[in-house]
Amino acid sequence: MDRDQLTESLTKIKNELIKVEKTVDSRLYLVCESLNAHKVSNFIFKTLGCRFVTATAIDSFHYYEVLYHFSHDQTGTVLTVKALIRDRENPSIESIAQFIPGAQWIEREMHDLMGIEFRNHPDMRRLILADDWPQGVYPLRKKTKDEKVS
Amino acid sequence: MSLSAKAVKKSPWVFHVNTGACNNCDIEIVDLLTPRFDVERFGIKLVGSPRHADALLVTGVVTAQAAPRLKKVYNQTAKPCVVFAIGACACGTGIFHTGYHVVGPVDKIIKEIDPNAIIAYVPGCPPKPEAIISGVVKALSIL
Repeated sequence: MDRDQLTESLTKIKNELIKVEKTVDSRLYLVCESLNAHKVSNFIFKTLGCRFVTATAIDSFHYYEVLYHFSHDQTGTVLTVKALIRDRENPSIESIAQFIPGAQWIEREMHDLMGIEFRNHPDMRRLILADDWPQGVYPLRKKTKDEKVS
Repeated sequence: MSLSAKAVKKSPWVFHVNTGACNNCDIEIVDLLTPRFDVERFGIKLVGSPRHADALLVTGVVTAQAAPRLKKVYNQTAKPCVVFAIGACACGTGIFHTGYHVVGPVDKIIKEIDPNAIIAYVPGCPPKPEAIISGVVKALSIL
Protein backbone atom coordinates (compact mmCIF):
# COMPACT_ATOMS: atom_id res chain seq x y z
CA MET A 1 0.00 0.00 0.00
CA ASP A 2 1.37 3.44 -0.86
CA ARG A 3 0.38 6.83 0.46
CA ASP A 4 -2.25 7.53 -2.17
CA GLN A 5 -4.00 4.26 -1.43
CA LEU A 6 -3.78 5.06 2.26
CA THR A 7 -5.44 8.44 1.73
CA GLU A 8 -8.05 6.81 -0.47
CA SER A 9 -8.90 4.15 2.10
CA LEU A 10 -9.91 6.95 4.44
CA THR A 11 -13.01 7.57 2.31
CA LYS A 12 -14.57 4.55 4.06
CA ILE A 13 -14.84 6.62 7.24
CA LYS A 14 -15.47 10.00 5.64
CA ASN A 15 -18.88 10.29 7.31
CA GLU A 16 -17.21 10.27 10.72
CA LEU A 17 -14.63 12.93 9.81
CA ILE A 18 -14.97 16.69 9.68
CA LYS A 19 -11.95 17.02 7.40
CA VAL A 20 -8.57 15.52 6.59
CA GLU A 21 -5.64 17.90 6.86
CA LYS A 22 -2.30 17.22 5.24
CA THR A 23 0.54 19.38 6.58
CA VAL A 24 3.41 17.52 4.93
CA ASP A 25 3.41 14.32 2.87
CA SER A 26 4.08 12.15 5.88
CA ARG A 27 1.41 13.56 8.20
CA LEU A 28 -2.37 13.28 8.02
CA TYR A 29 -4.71 14.85 10.53
CA LEU A 30 -8.17 13.30 10.73
CA VAL A 31 -10.31 15.89 12.45
CA CYS A 32 -13.47 14.49 13.98
CA GLU A 33 -15.98 15.06 16.76
CA SER A 34 -15.17 13.34 20.04
CA LEU A 35 -18.10 10.93 19.59
CA ASN A 36 -16.59 9.50 16.42
CA ALA A 37 -12.96 9.31 17.57
CA HIS A 38 -13.41 5.81 18.94
CA LYS A 39 -14.72 4.49 15.63
CA VAL A 40 -12.06 6.29 13.58
CA SER A 41 -9.25 5.01 15.82
CA ASN A 42 -10.67 1.50 15.61
CA PHE A 43 -10.68 1.67 11.81
CA ILE A 44 -7.10 2.95 11.67
CA PHE A 45 -5.84 0.43 14.19
CA LYS A 46 -7.74 -2.68 13.14
CA THR A 47 -8.45 -2.20 9.42
CA LEU A 48 -5.39 -0.24 8.31
CA GLY A 49 -3.13 -2.01 10.81
CA CYS A 50 -1.44 1.14 12.06
CA ARG A 51 0.71 1.16 15.19
CA PHE A 52 -0.43 3.30 18.13
CA VAL A 53 2.37 5.73 18.98
CA THR A 54 1.03 8.04 21.66
CA ALA A 55 -1.68 10.54 22.40
CA THR A 56 -1.68 14.19 23.34
CA ALA A 57 -4.26 16.59 24.70
CA ILE A 58 -4.45 20.31 23.99
CA ASP A 59 -6.48 23.03 25.64
CA SER A 60 -7.34 25.30 22.72
CA PHE A 61 -9.73 27.66 24.56
CA HIS A 62 -12.91 26.85 22.61
CA TYR A 63 -12.57 23.11 23.02
CA TYR A 64 -10.22 20.42 24.22
CA GLU A 65 -8.44 18.35 21.62
CA VAL A 66 -7.32 14.77 22.10
CA LEU A 67 -4.88 13.64 19.44
CA TYR A 68 -4.24 9.96 18.92
CA HIS A 69 -1.11 9.44 16.86
CA PHE A 70 -0.83 6.31 14.76
CA SER A 71 2.08 5.30 12.56
CA HIS A 72 1.62 3.52 9.27
CA ASP A 73 5.08 1.98 9.17
CA GLN A 74 4.81 0.63 5.60
CA THR A 75 4.62 4.13 4.13
CA GLY A 76 6.20 6.07 6.98
CA THR A 77 3.05 8.11 7.49
CA VAL A 78 1.77 9.39 10.81
CA LEU A 79 -2.00 9.55 11.04
CA THR A 80 -3.35 11.69 13.83
CA VAL A 81 -6.94 11.41 14.96
CA LYS A 82 -7.82 14.85 16.22
CA ALA A 83 -10.93 14.62 18.38
CA LEU A 84 -12.63 17.88 19.30
CA ILE A 85 -14.31 17.91 22.70
CA ARG A 86 -16.66 20.87 22.69
CA ASP A 87 -18.06 20.43 26.22
CA ARG A 88 -15.59 22.43 28.28
CA GLU A 89 -17.41 21.90 31.58
CA ASN A 90 -17.28 18.09 31.58
CA PRO A 91 -14.94 17.05 28.79
CA SER A 92 -15.24 13.37 28.07
CA ILE A 93 -14.41 10.95 25.28
CA GLU A 94 -14.74 7.22 24.73
CA SER A 95 -11.51 5.43 25.74
CA ILE A 96 -9.56 3.61 23.04
CA ALA A 97 -7.81 1.53 25.71
CA GLN A 98 -10.59 -1.04 25.27
CA PHE A 99 -8.93 -2.30 22.12
CA ILE A 100 -5.44 -0.77 22.56
CA PRO A 101 -4.19 -1.65 26.06
CA GLY A 102 -1.05 0.42 25.37
CA ALA A 103 -3.19 3.56 25.47
CA GLN A 104 -4.17 3.08 29.11
CA TRP A 105 -1.36 5.03 30.72
CA ILE A 106 -1.37 7.98 28.32
CA GLU A 107 -5.13 8.33 28.83
CA ARG A 108 -4.61 8.29 32.58
CA GLU A 109 -1.96 10.98 32.18
CA MET A 110 -4.27 13.12 30.05
CA HIS A 111 -6.96 12.68 32.69
CA ASP A 112 -4.57 13.77 35.46
CA LEU A 113 -3.25 16.86 33.73
CA MET A 114 -6.13 18.00 31.52
CA GLY A 115 -9.15 16.60 33.32
CA ILE A 116 -10.57 14.77 30.33
CA GLU A 117 -12.81 11.87 31.31
CA PHE A 118 -12.18 8.68 29.34
CA ARG A 119 -15.39 6.67 29.34
CA ASN A 120 -15.10 2.91 29.84
CA HIS A 121 -11.40 3.08 30.62
CA PRO A 122 -10.46 -0.15 32.43
CA ASP A 123 -8.37 1.47 35.18
CA MET A 124 -8.73 5.22 35.71
CA ARG A 125 -6.51 5.68 38.77
CA ARG A 126 -4.19 8.67 39.21
CA LEU A 127 -0.93 8.18 37.38
CA ILE A 128 1.54 11.04 37.57
CA LEU A 129 0.29 13.78 39.89
CA ALA A 130 1.48 13.82 43.50
CA ASP A 131 -0.51 11.71 45.97
CA ASP A 132 -1.66 14.77 47.92
CA TRP A 133 -2.62 16.78 44.84
CA PRO A 134 -6.22 18.05 45.30
CA GLN A 135 -8.98 16.36 43.34
CA GLY A 136 -10.43 18.34 40.47
CA VAL A 137 -7.39 20.58 39.88
CA TYR A 138 -5.94 20.00 36.44
CA PRO A 139 -2.58 21.77 36.13
CA LEU A 140 -2.24 21.93 32.35
CA ARG A 141 -5.59 23.56 31.71
CA LYS A 142 -5.25 27.14 30.58
CA LYS A 143 -7.18 28.74 33.41
CA THR A 144 -5.22 26.95 36.12
CA LYS A 145 -1.91 27.95 34.58
CA ASP A 146 -0.92 30.43 37.29
CA GLU A 147 -2.41 28.55 40.23
CA LYS A 148 0.09 26.76 42.37
CA VAL A 149 -0.47 24.27 45.13
CA SER A 150 1.72 24.93 48.15
CA MET B 1 38.05 18.43 64.59
CA SER B 2 35.68 15.80 65.84
CA LEU B 3 36.28 12.18 65.00
CA SER B 4 33.14 11.97 62.90
CA ALA B 5 34.08 15.03 60.84
CA LYS B 6 37.54 13.56 60.34
CA ALA B 7 36.01 10.30 59.15
CA VAL B 8 33.72 12.11 56.73
CA LYS B 9 36.68 13.96 55.23
CA LYS B 10 38.76 10.82 55.00
CA SER B 11 36.16 8.79 53.15
CA PRO B 12 32.76 10.33 52.45
CA TRP B 13 30.11 7.75 51.66
CA VAL B 14 27.46 9.18 49.43
CA PHE B 15 23.85 8.33 48.79
CA HIS B 16 22.27 9.47 45.55
CA VAL B 17 18.79 11.01 45.67
CA ASN B 18 16.88 11.96 42.54
CA THR B 19 14.09 14.35 43.49
CA GLY B 20 12.84 15.00 39.98
CA ALA B 21 15.85 15.34 37.73
CA CYS B 22 15.80 14.77 33.98
CA ASN B 23 18.51 12.10 34.48
CA ASN B 24 21.30 14.15 32.95
CA CYS B 25 22.89 14.97 36.31
CA ASP B 26 22.46 11.33 37.30
CA ILE B 27 24.41 10.28 34.23
CA GLU B 28 27.23 12.63 35.28
CA ILE B 29 27.20 11.03 38.73
CA VAL B 30 27.48 7.61 37.14
CA ASP B 31 30.47 9.02 35.22
CA LEU B 32 32.05 9.92 38.54
CA LEU B 33 31.73 6.43 39.90
CA THR B 34 32.83 4.53 36.82
CA PRO B 35 36.50 3.98 35.85
CA ARG B 36 37.17 7.23 33.96
CA PHE B 37 36.86 9.43 37.04
CA ASP B 38 36.65 6.68 39.65
CA VAL B 39 36.07 8.78 42.77
CA GLU B 40 36.52 5.73 44.94
CA ARG B 41 40.25 6.49 44.72
CA PHE B 42 39.45 9.50 46.96
CA GLY B 43 37.47 7.30 49.32
CA ILE B 44 34.13 8.52 47.94
CA LYS B 45 31.87 5.51 47.86
CA LEU B 46 28.31 5.11 46.70
CA VAL B 47 26.17 3.35 49.29
CA GLY B 48 22.74 1.84 49.04
CA SER B 49 21.20 3.27 52.19
CA PRO B 50 20.99 6.80 53.60
CA ARG B 51 21.79 5.32 57.02
CA HIS B 52 25.31 4.57 55.79
CA ALA B 53 25.76 7.92 54.07
CA ASP B 54 27.85 10.94 55.05
CA ALA B 55 26.69 12.95 52.07
CA LEU B 56 23.61 13.16 49.88
CA LEU B 57 23.97 13.82 46.18
CA VAL B 58 20.64 15.41 45.36
CA THR B 59 19.78 15.96 41.70
CA GLY B 60 16.77 17.71 40.28
CA VAL B 61 14.19 20.21 41.37
CA VAL B 62 12.19 19.07 44.40
CA THR B 63 8.68 18.11 43.32
CA ALA B 64 5.62 17.99 45.56
CA GLN B 65 5.80 14.21 45.60
CA ALA B 66 9.54 14.09 46.35
CA ALA B 67 9.78 16.77 49.08
CA PRO B 68 8.56 14.66 52.05
CA ARG B 69 10.69 11.75 50.82
CA LEU B 70 13.80 13.94 50.63
CA LYS B 71 13.17 15.06 54.21
CA LYS B 72 12.80 11.45 55.32
CA VAL B 73 16.05 10.49 53.61
CA TYR B 74 17.87 13.45 55.18
CA ASN B 75 16.56 12.54 58.63
CA GLN B 76 17.85 9.00 58.21
CA THR B 77 21.43 10.04 57.46
CA ALA B 78 24.12 10.13 60.10
CA LYS B 79 25.12 13.69 61.09
CA PRO B 80 27.19 15.57 60.08
CA CYS B 81 25.76 15.11 56.63
CA VAL B 82 26.73 17.25 53.67
CA VAL B 83 23.96 17.82 51.14
CA PHE B 84 25.21 18.35 47.60
CA ALA B 85 22.75 20.10 45.31
CA ILE B 86 23.93 18.88 41.92
CA GLY B 87 22.89 20.85 38.86
CA ALA B 88 20.97 24.02 38.11
CA CYS B 89 17.58 22.56 39.10
CA ALA B 90 18.71 21.36 42.51
CA CYS B 91 20.55 24.63 43.21
CA GLY B 92 17.74 27.00 42.30
CA THR B 93 14.92 25.18 40.43
CA GLY B 94 16.34 26.32 37.06
CA ILE B 95 13.93 26.34 34.15
CA PHE B 96 11.24 24.60 36.20
CA HIS B 97 10.69 27.39 38.72
CA THR B 98 7.16 28.17 37.47
CA GLY B 99 6.16 24.51 37.24
CA TYR B 100 2.97 23.44 38.99
CA HIS B 101 4.70 20.47 40.62
CA VAL B 102 7.70 22.38 41.99
CA VAL B 103 8.06 23.00 45.73
CA GLY B 104 11.47 24.63 45.71
CA PRO B 105 15.20 24.14 45.43
CA VAL B 106 16.94 21.51 47.55
CA ASP B 107 18.35 23.97 50.14
CA LYS B 108 14.88 25.32 50.97
CA ILE B 109 13.47 21.84 51.64
CA ILE B 110 16.46 20.70 53.70
CA LYS B 111 16.50 23.93 55.75
CA GLU B 112 12.86 23.40 56.69
CA ILE B 113 13.90 20.46 58.84
CA ASP B 114 17.50 21.40 59.64
CA PRO B 115 18.35 25.13 59.45
CA ASN B 116 22.03 24.40 60.12
CA ALA B 117 22.43 21.83 57.36
CA ILE B 118 25.65 21.91 55.37
CA ILE B 119 24.66 22.44 51.75
CA ALA B 120 27.07 22.58 48.83
CA TYR B 121 25.99 23.81 45.43
CA VAL B 122 27.35 22.49 42.14
CA PRO B 123 25.65 24.44 39.36
CA GLY B 124 25.61 23.43 35.73
CA CYS B 125 23.25 21.76 33.34
CA PRO B 126 24.56 19.17 33.84
CA PRO B 127 27.71 19.94 35.88
CA LYS B 128 30.84 18.27 34.57
CA PRO B 129 32.23 15.43 36.67
CA GLU B 130 35.28 17.64 37.31
CA ALA B 131 32.96 20.32 38.70
CA ILE B 132 31.29 17.82 41.03
CA ILE B 133 34.69 16.60 42.29
CA SER B 134 35.75 20.22 42.80
CA GLY B 135 32.54 20.90 44.73
CA VAL B 136 33.08 17.89 46.95
CA VAL B 137 36.68 18.92 47.67
CA LYS B 138 35.63 22.49 48.53
CA ALA B 139 32.78 21.33 50.77
CA LEU B 140 34.98 18.88 52.65
CA SER B 141 37.76 21.42 53.11
CA ILE B 142 35.48 23.70 55.19
CA LEU B 143 34.22 20.91 57.45
